[in-house]
Amino acid sequence: MSRYLRHIVLGLIVFIWVVPFVALLATSLRSETASKTSGFWTAFTPTELGHRFGTHDRDDTDPFVVMNGNIFDRLNGESESYPVTGKVNSVMFTGRVPDPDNEGKTILIKKLIAAGEVMDVRDGDFVFQTNGNFTWTFPEATAPRPKNLDVFIEQDPVFGADAYIEVLFDNKNVPNALISSFIVTIPATIIPITIAAFAAYAFAWMRFPGRDWLFVIVVSLMVVPTQLAFLPVLQGFSGIASWATQLNSWLTDCDIDDTCRVASKSFASLWITHTAFGLPLAIYLLRNYIVGLPKELLESARIDGANHLQIFIRIIVPLSVPALASFSIFQFLWVWNDLLVALYIGPNEASDLVFPIRLQKQLGTFKDQLHLLNASAVISMIVPVIVFLSMQRYFIRGLLAGSVKGG
Amino acid sequence: MRSVNPIIAGNSLAIFLTVVILLPVTAVAAYMLTSPLDGWIAQFGTWLHNRYEWSFPVFDTVERFSKIGFAIRSIFIAVGISFLYFWISNWLNMGLARYTARGSIGRQSTIVEAIQPWIFVGPALVLLLLFLMIPALSTLSLSFQEADGTSTVRNYAFLWDPASLGYDQFRYAMRNSLMWLILVPTVCISLGLLIAVLADSVRWGVIAKTFIFVPLAISFVGAAVIWRNIFAGGGIQAQEVLNGVTPSYQIGLLKSLLGHGAEYNEPLYSLQFWGNFFLMWILVWVQTGFAMVIFSAALRGVPEDTIEAATIDGANPFQMFFRIKLPQIYSTVLVVWTTLVILVLKVFDIPYALSANDDDKLLLATMMENARNNWSVGGDNVDNLFAAIAVMLMLTVVPNMIFNAWRIRKEQREMGH
Repeated sequence: MSRYLRHIVLGLIVFIWVVPFVALLATSLRSETASKTSGFWTAFTPTELGHRFGTHDRDDTDPFVVMNGNIFDRLNGESESYPVTGKVNSVMFTGRVPDPDNEGKTILIKKLIAAGEVMDVRDGDFVFQTNGNFTWTFPEATAPRPKNLDVFIEQDPVFGADAYIEVLFDNKNVPNALISSFIVTIPATIIPITIAAFAAYAFAWMRFPGRDWLFVIVVSLMVVPTQLAFLPVLQGFSGIASWATQLNSWLTDCDIDDTCRVASKSFASLWITHTAFGLPLAIYLLRNYIVGLPKELLESARIDGANHLQIFIRIIVPLSVPALASFSIFQFLWVWNDLLVALYIGPNEASDLVFPIRLQKQLGTFKDQLHLLNASAVISMIVPVIVFLSMQRYFIRGLLAGSVKGG
Repeated sequence: MRSVNPIIAGNSLAIFLTVVILLPVTAVAAYMLTSPLDGWIAQFGTWLHNRYEWSFPVFDTVERFSKIGFAIRSIFIAVGISFLYFWISNWLNMGLARYTARGSIGRQSTIVEAIQPWIFVGPALVLLLLFLMIPALSTLSLSFQEADGTSTVRNYAFLWDPASLGYDQFRYAMRNSLMWLILVPTVCISLGLLIAVLADSVRWGVIAKTFIFVPLAISFVGAAVIWRNIFAGGGIQAQEVLNGVTPSYQIGLLKSLLGHGAEYNEPLYSLQFWGNFFLMWILVWVQTGFAMVIFSAALRGVPEDTIEAATIDGANPFQMFFRIKLPQIYSTVLVVWTTLVILVLKVFDIPYALSANDDDKLLLATMMENARNNWSVGGDNVDNLFAAIAVMLMLTVVPNMIFNAWRIRKEQREMGH
């Protein structure tokens, strides 16, 4: 293959991979109108967009001869964000004019009038200049009825962080989802790694009957679809929850049908379920790592009289940091990005939903507020992408150690 | 040694009972003792709220901070309990052995050594048993029962009876699964190989690989939001033709490139039948990085001398790749392929997020969710129908599972354990 072709093909692939990210960021930084009326790629170059322009308020009945103004001042007077700048291209005039064929009657016309051309609006001369200035001149002082015009403006690119401010501060859902995701993810990463590390140590270096077969069974569980476990696990949790409700009413002064109630789908049930579902991969990765550590270390520690817990904490854990890191990043990403388990097992109060469920709901609720949808998606991705890029080395090591865990 | 076994059994039972009683009690006690913490953190939040004059209602701040308080103590308690378990049980094991061995160091060490492994693997095995193995078996038995517990095969009627609930949906799901199963791993592996080969031959390869790699960190729902910008239909208001020129009101890049008019608003992923391929592409976009990383490492592991020998024999780059390198990384390709196949069989998020209720885009996992939400017309045995679909999903994974178990067992033998 020729040298240039390589660069071109690889460049093309990278381009296809990067464009969606550009789309995401660009859309999240645009205004609501811009994001829902034009494609993200138009955000980088001057683009013609239509604006509804009203001459004056209906209540405003002071007669005048000349009305002067600037459309940009008017448009930007209402809000400070996403200032509209650029040049006026044309005006769509919609209105009734005398019908040339029918004396005394009028017809509705739509006509595009270029900037700088004079048009007849309510019997006055109306002119839009390219720079946005307009004048509306009458022969004598008049109080015309207001008129709406559609002005097409070649708009300069404009970006702003309004969508981020809105979803983070004005909308309760995104901050709540962020907090919930952290609540779910941190224990669901630490607990399985603790349990798996001990198990891996036992599978690697301790002798007990059935060890090899147990290990094979544990590892085969990696591919069992989690769906298979949902129903019974849910039933189990609701059993525990009703039991806990009883206990709660016995221990504290509360109403058994109301304040005592312990939810069956909770953060705790998510932690335990994620822990169980993450264990096979964790045990597999860690055991394969620990088995490769020098056996002399263990033996000399045994001779020095150390027990297994001491060996584990003082020798195995410090030496296994790379493997522990590589599993924890897997599990972190896995839990943070999980939709399925959270949907079935996780809490279903609106304030406790984790980010993927929230985002899935926002695909519906924000379908006309694409800037908010995309901003929310960016916020959901910041944490995993930072974790991922900063610990890439460990992630790759884990992948190469034989990740077989599927979605 | 004969007399040691009852002691081991007794000690194990003692440890087990202690742990089973002590840990939950400790957890509940810890929760109750630390509950004032939520209030304090909420007060701190209110103080911050007033200090910095936050714009949203103070109620939100209180709610959020007490949630954070709850989270912090939950995290500490949950993690603490799991550490406590190992410490307590280890300590008990040593203590009990010293007490029951009655001074014989040999017996003491035998007892400790016999119980210790089970303390270490115990929690993992119990969790796997309770949350994966028993539930899986119980789902299997649920799927052969009516809601009242009588045994039946009617839950699987969607397999053969056209009049039954889900007959068409199951066929759609199987058709789509088959397409996903063939296309997604093939495209991922081919692209992954191509990128791995190309990136290793150019100087900016590392940067290129990072870009391909990043989607792996993103949730499938996030990926769906991202690709919505490319595949979506027109904006909400169609613009009229102005002097023969229609400014593009398409907000999806690909639809705009295809030259679709503004009146044609359907997103590409909603297209009848063909929409499936756009959903598949999203998964390919996410997963190609995985294939690429593995292949990149595998290709670097191909012995230099085979490459040199081929170069001397005058092999061109294509021959070099297909005749020399590919056969040597064949087993890696197989591993990646099984991983992707399992992933595809279980894929749920992408079709669920973008076309949840569209029969034409169903996969087994989305069909399950559909059954759970919409099949209440099926009567009381919705759960049993759900279980039946879950079993079908499992059956599609079984061949891979067997292959995996065989591969890992072989790997273990080769490692000499």
